[in-house]
Amino acid sequence: MRLVLTNNGSYPRVGDRPQERKLRVAHTKFAEGRISERDLKDTENWVSSEVIREQIAAGIELVTDGMVRWHDPVSHVAVSLENVRAGGLRRYFDSNFLYRQPIVEGEPRWVKSLLADDIAFSVKNSTRFVKGMLTGPYTTARMSIVNAPEYKDDIPKLTMAFAEAFANEIEAMAQAGAKVIQIDEPMVLRHPGDVGLVREALALFAEKKGKAELALCTYFGDAAKLYGDFQDMPVEIISLDFTYSEDLISNIEMVGSSKVLGLGIFNARNTRMDSKDEIFHFLDRVLPRVSTDYCYLNPSCGLEFLPRDRARKKLELMTSLRYRYLHAGGQ
Amino acid sequence: MSREHLTKLGITLPEFPVTSVGSFPKPSYLKKAREDYSAQRIDQEALEREEERATQFWIEWQDQAGVDVLVDGEMYRGDMVTFFAETMRGFEIGGLIRSNGNRYYHKPIITSAVEWVQPITIEWFRFAQSLTEKPVKGMLTGPYTVMDWSFNEHYENRRDTTIGLAKEIRKEVEALVEAGCRIIQIDEPAISVRPEEMPLAVEAMQICTEGLDAYFISHVCVGSFDQIYPQLLELPVHNLDLELSNPDVDIMPLLQANVPQKDISCGLVDVHSREVESQDEVDARLSKALEIIPQDRIWVDPDCGLKTRTVEEAQAKLEVVVAAAHARRESPSE
Repeated sequence: MRLVLTNNGSYPRVGDRPQERKLRVAHTKFAEGRISERDLKDTENWVSSEVIREQIAAGIELVTDGMVRWHDPVSHVAVSLENVRAGGLRRYFDSNFLYRQPIVEGEPRWVKSLLADDIAFSVKNSTRFVKGMLTGPYTTARMSIVNAPEYKDDIPKLTMAFAEAFANEIEAMAQAGAKVIQIDEPMVLRHPGDVGLVREALALFAEKKGKAELALCTYFGDAAKLYGDFQDMPVEIISLDFTYSEDLISNIEMVGSSKVLGLGIFNARNTRMDSKDEIFHFLDRVLPRVSTDYCYLNPSCGLEFLPRDRARKKLELMTSLRYRYLHAGGQ
Repeated sequence: MSREHLTKLGITLPEFPVTSVGSFPKPSYLKKAREDYSAQRIDQEALEREEERATQFWIEWQDQAGVDVLVDGEMYRGDMVTFFAETMRGFEIGGLIRSNGNRYYHKPIITSAVEWVQPITIEWFRFAQSLTEKPVKGMLTGPYTVMDWSFNEHYENRRDTTIGLAKEIRKEVEALVEAGCRIIQIDEPAISVRPEEMPLAVEAMQICTEGLDAYFISHVCVGSFDQIYPQLLELPVHNLDLELSNPDVDIMPLLQANVPQKDISCGLVDVHSREVESQDEVDARLSKALEIIPQDRIWVDPDCGLKTRTVEEAQAKLEVVVAAAHARRESPSE
């Protein structure tokens, strides 16, 4: 069994070292009218390439741009659609991070790709494969405020409207060179009865993905109850947060997996370094039950919840423990 | 209003007492002093002089503006958790974490058992209170929020961390009471995100407040109120401070369904917007609150701390709240 190392989306865009503060300074200067939008974009690109370089240096084989250009995971792509605007701030799940609530004023319509250029830039600046990121239509719908009467109290209709719009973004990211496109749907863990809706939306993406592989990713909750349903999703990869319960591991032991799994066992929400014994024990239990020839090993969620130095260390720890595990005679 | 309780504490307040949630923007001279201090161009004493100057500025301004229960404005704090972590034992100050947009904070890391070793806010409370005859609120961050907004490398689980913190934060509450503080706000903005942990937050607040002779307020914001209300009413405080102006968080239907028996501090201006509301807008929000909450249980304030606004915006926003409250006092039937 091969274990491929990947990042789970975001990466801290700012750190405590002076050179790691460039983006923060650039945003401040931009807000004060002291630099142009072009200057800000140049800084974003520079930070993006630095973040990619840092992941590669830490041993990561499927990198992301760290989502360093995103305002937040919920509103960034949503408000690029016609008839969706950014609203007030709200707490992002159980974190101390605030996102802007998308406000749906009418049918969400895709006009042009927001992310394709970013992917193309990452591909050009990476010696490793690049993963594109998208917060899924179901989660976006659940986290939006709906003013448009046609979508009021109609999560299925709004989800599919977002899905149709986002499918164009999937196609654009695939054409721009994304090897994998990760679709984050953490909200389905809170509303497990809607898992069929997520499947329906992903089916639209599957038609547009071209050569890219799709990953369905959940975090911030226990996916144990939905694990069986996830195995039927029209995606190649299921990426899960294993920091919430033992039940998920037991389910995999029982059911196995015919899909590539993203093993989010490195806790991206705590600075404590994960213990070798726990990781090895986890891999010993899960890997024998996976029938694909590789799995991804990754943090439990985006790394932006950690300080930059700890995020870097987590990735280095992943690399080190994978090496030690494989050379200790694990799967 | 828990007027009887306030009276016992020796505090008489007018109808619609005006307060603010805690933080005010730092004047430019203090921002510069903080930068100079970070760059080691000035010493701690010089920084503290500027912090005192800014505190005095805000106390005097609130006094003159007609605010009834004052805050020190938190001129000496960076953010609401790190400030406490810097003084309590058991914490390390971690690297920068983004909280939204281009805002960052240093998230503390709990590396050993937390311990209150010395008063944290008492000298600032004494200083602020010495500048005014009006009551100044003691301002603390609650144990659940400190737990949730810190990394934990020491305790076994979230419960142990919260209870450990509550026992230590209580010592600061006791020190505030001992220093003569009678209105104490213990903020718990984090409790709105994990509804299943509401009983833990309630238990922790109980540890902080039980048997202490003060009027307690707790501020909660930007969360899923629909998930935690009406359980939120179990929080053992006299006054819940809620955001009623955030255009995207409509709490009113929840209050309507379960009318709170506590005092409610009604946030009447949106702190995330630069636009200063008109008195009519603010009055309309107050009228909406009055449809549900009896007049004698209503306090008025901004939705949240005003530190993200400019000094001028913060003043203008608080002035319009004062104006609305004063107008109501003069024409209560309108």
